[in-house]
Amino acid sequence: MDDQWAFFLRILPELWEGLKMSMYLSVGALSLGLVIGLPLALVKTYGHGVLRFVVTAYIEVVRGTPMVVQLFMVYFGLPELGIVIDRVPAAIIALAVNSSAYQAEYFRGAILSVSEGQYAAGRAIGMSQGQAVLHIILPQALRIVIPPWSNEMVYMVKYTSIAFLIAVPELMAQGQVIITRTFRPMETLFWVGLLYVIVLAILSQIVDWIETRVRIPGYQSDRRG
Amino acid sequence: MTKSIVSIRNLHKSYGKVPVLNDFSLDVYPNEVVVVIGPSGTGKSTLLRCINYLTPFDSGEIHLDGQKIDPRKTNLNHVRQQIGMVFQDFNLFNHMSAFHNVAVGLVKVKRVNRGEARSRALDELERVGMLQYKDQYPAELSGGQKQRVAIARALAMNPKIMLFDEPTSALDPELIEEVLAVMKSLAAAGMTMVVVSHEMSFAREAADRIVFMDQGAIAEMGSPSELFANPHKERTRQFLSKLGYRENERKDESDG
Ligand SMILES: Nc1ncnc2c1ncn2[C@@H]1O[C@H](COP(=O)(O)OP(=O)(O)OP(=O)(O)O)[C@@H](O)[C@H]1O
Ligand SMILES: [Mg+2]
Repeated sequence: MDDQWAFFLRILPELWEGLKMSMYLSVGALSLGLVIGLPLALVKTYGHGVLRFVVTAYIEVVRGTPMVVQLFMVYFGLPELGIVIDRVPAAIIALAVNSSAYQAEYFRGAILSVSEGQYAAGRAIGMSQGQAVLHIILPQALRIVIPPWSNEMVYMVKYTSIAFLIAVPELMAQGQVIITRTFRPMETLFWVGLLYVIVLAILSQIVDWIETRVRIPGYQSDRRG
Repeated sequence: MTKSIVSIRNLHKSYGKVPVLNDFSLDVYPNEVVVVIGPSGTGKSTLLRCINYLTPFDSGEIHLDGQKIDPRKTNLNHVRQQIGMVFQDFNLFNHMSAFHNVAVGLVKVKRVNRGEARSRALDELERVGMLQYKDQYPAELSGGQKQRVAIARALAMNPKIMLFDEPTSALDPELIEEVLAVMKSLAAAGMTMVVVSHEMSFAREAADRIVFMDQGAIAEMGSPSELFANPHKERTRQFLSKLGYRENERKDESDG
């Protein structure tokens, strides 16, 4: 047991660096994914014609292809077109593209679950479509989306580990390096896994806290679909 | 002849191949209360939603206060500000307190400054007897209270006419009266109103005209005393007797 602790403390600095990189990738991918995903959801819900078609196609293609393919396209594929991106931004872009499609679907689901009557009531007092969406639909949809969004967050934190395939020094990659050096895969992977679990538990707590903070008084017990 | 507030002319509306409004015409005059009754699915809600262009229609015209509304030229958001609407299931904004439900239109749509919006919103809440609940959220209010806030929300926009779509039919029987009382006082204060409702007490007391609507058109129309005492058409008679039956049924329920 003492030996295990000693081992953990010895590899902790390296794991810590990896963890920081994983968090950096997660925050970057989730934020960028949100910035892209929310407008996509709005276009898919309220848009028409070509724009809506393009957005729908984007979402389907992204959700229908493996994340590794997307990552390699950005990191190995784009340079062939003359666009060379560093490994860390490449990882963030690939993860964000992937996340944006899923977030778009979550936002869209939340928007659709706000009842039609809410929108009609906004229009009935003279709001434009944009005002009704901004002031009536979105504030409710953004609350409804918190639980599915927090799922996406959990997935994304774990999926950042595929960035080790393009040698981004995130948590999984650091673990790999330690294993090669120490030949102690079991213990190393145990500590790597535990760090993911701890971080995700903390993040989930934060999301729960936010969800409680923004909860509409009286609404949680009898929320209608 | 007085000028009508709302003039509905030859409205046609169908969903797919199903005609819902069939050459519907009606003029509503200042201070008038028109109560619309009719069987389910006959197009009463559709009619109200066409009047304020929440639902587009196939042909026909709506004139508001003497002005023809042309959806391609008239700003419909501006038209809707002048037409208050109260829904069967309230549709209060779930994420806003009673106060904000009433104030939001003033602030975001009318762009009234916050101080004035506040005092006007509080006035409207007081008018419907909901001032003391101003900080409650919709989920914390009873159905009758929600509907009163919804009426205040519409009134805050200072509309020329108010449309009510079965405002009490989603309410428990014991809550109906508080909403009808507010509507009666509005009528007494001279508000022009089109009310889809089968509350006969309201119709008798507050209506100037009853419109019996059947299959998307006016089947019969008259003052409450004329229409209730002496309906000309068999359809109207049948419908009214069915309503009477329902009214008795509800009394039995609340007695028992
Ligand atoms: N969005 C819609 N799409 C298709 N059909 C519709 C739609 N809204 C209403 N209808 C149909 O139009 C007809 C009239 O509906 P409407 O709601 O206006 O009737 P109503 O007189 O208000 O009935 P109720 O007394 O039940 O409220 C009905 O046959 C209904 O099924
Ligand atoms: Mg109806």
